[in-house]
Amino acid sequence: MSDIVLRVEDVWKSFGDLQVLRGISFDVAESEVKVIFGPSGSGKSTLLRCINYLDPPDKGEIYLRGKRLGDPDTDINKIRSRIGFVFQHFNLFAHLKAIDNVAIGPEKVLGLSKEEARERAMRALKHVKMDKWADHYPAQLSGGQQQRVGIARALAMETDVILFDEPTSALDPELIGEVLQTMLDIAKEGTTMVVVTHEMGFARSVADEMIFIDGGVIVERGTPHHFFTSPESERVQQFLHKLDELYGQTRDERRTIAERDQE
Amino acid sequence: MMSSPASPSIGPLGIEEWVGELAAGLGMTLYLYFTALIIGFALGLLLALARQYGGRISSRIATGYIDLIRGTPLLAQLFLIYTMPYSLNAWLSPDGPPVINTRWSFQLLGLTYLNFPILASIVALGLNSAAYQAEYMRGAMASLGTGQVLAAQSLGMTKHEIFRYVIIPQAFRRMIPSWSNEASYLPKYTVIATFVSVEDLFGKAKLVVARTFLALETYILVGVVYLILITIIARILDKLYEKTKIPGL
Repeated sequence: MSDIVLRVEDVWKSFGDLQVLRGISFDVAESEVKVIFGPSGSGKSTLLRCINYLDPPDKGEIYLRGKRLGDPDTDINKIRSRIGFVFQHFNLFAHLKAIDNVAIGPEKVLGLSKEEARERAMRALKHVKMDKWADHYPAQLSGGQQQRVGIARALAMETDVILFDEPTSALDPELIGEVLQTMLDIAKEGTTMVVVTHEMGFARSVADEMIFIDGGVIVERGTPHHFFTSPESERVQQFLHKLDELYGQTRDERRTIAERDQE
Repeated sequence: MMSSPASPSIGPLGIEEWVGELAAGLGMTLYLYFTALIIGFALGLLLALARQYGGRISSRIATGYIDLIRGTPLLAQLFLIYTMPYSLNAWLSPDGPPVINTRWSFQLLGLTYLNFPILASIVALGLNSAAYQAEYMRGAMASLGTGQVLAAQSLGMTKHEIFRYVIIPQAFRRMIPSWSNEASYLPKYTVIATFVSVEDLFGKAKLVVARTFLALETYILVGVVYLILITIIARILDKLYEKTKIPGL
């Protein structure tokens, strides 16, 4: 298949005696949104770090548009510049304004001129509706705003794929919405994305495929429709039930509070 | 060398005619201070990077160097450097002419700005200061955390680019308060140059005392000069810290 952007092939990873990943394989096609979920400690974050070689896998291969990562003749920094990464804790550069956080990659890594890089950064910030905050430093922004800058930083690199590592799980509940909306927008525009998240609403509306990981292996995979109507394994059913209990309840509570306010 | 005053002293301190000599000493003190501070800064940065981000071997070498320097007296380090050419000469040619020349000097406009004792002092102070500055820098680097480095790596930055654009600009800002310790210790440590015959402020003060026997007046005056100098340095660094502070942090 020619439209495979990212291929993950039998990836294994251990830290000391702890086997974190035990043979994970999947393909990500052009414009596909892949959602990866599973209990904490199941290896989701490690998997993302293996994909862009921040933690090189012990065994197995990663291909980006057919190019094998880890080959002696491929420059890992060049490859990484084509894989966007959005972090759970944003990881913005604290000493740079929002605009410079976004422009530094295009300027220093892609070699654009300062003006071109800033222009591109401004476009990316507009995209995530943060252009008004371009001259603010990360510490002057809310968590949700910081994460949107983090997304803009990945967008401005015009990468082949963007990896999201639990992008909303460090946010206050009321800030999650703005980040999810941004992610929905760019997903609908055809951005190729691999998203580790527990936001099942997001998965339901844009995921092309969902992958459930537990104990370092893929337990079950399928469309959102499959997972939300007829998940096969007991482990998945339990997990989804737990999520539903947690988030469903709060949603109901929110509704009742809203209703009470209206009375 | 010092010239005798033309007329007997008539100021309230009694050492007024020696002020020119003391000013020349202050010039030498400042010169030793700034050169040692700059050498210590550059070498300290390399040591800090090696210790914090280097491989096993380079970080061990850096740690060993820092331990060695911080574990031995500064004066002993200076004497080791200062006596080395003489010892080598005695060993290389016990009876003949010296192999290593220690009698050279560079002068400009009647001022000696480099000779062997001055060089030995600058090198000793610089090598010593590097070990302390490295630890202040390393502390600042360690406090940055790994998140931003991961972000820079994921953008495709090289190690060099990460140091230059992410780590160093923030580490320098963060280290100013603790680094100001070193910046205000070092002017006082330059007095060790007196022991190898460099005429710094303290060396000149000793000469003035030898000539006038006005020890109390001379040493109080010199103490006040050090106090003013260090107060100015501390104020400048406070201002620099406030000015470079990252908004919102």
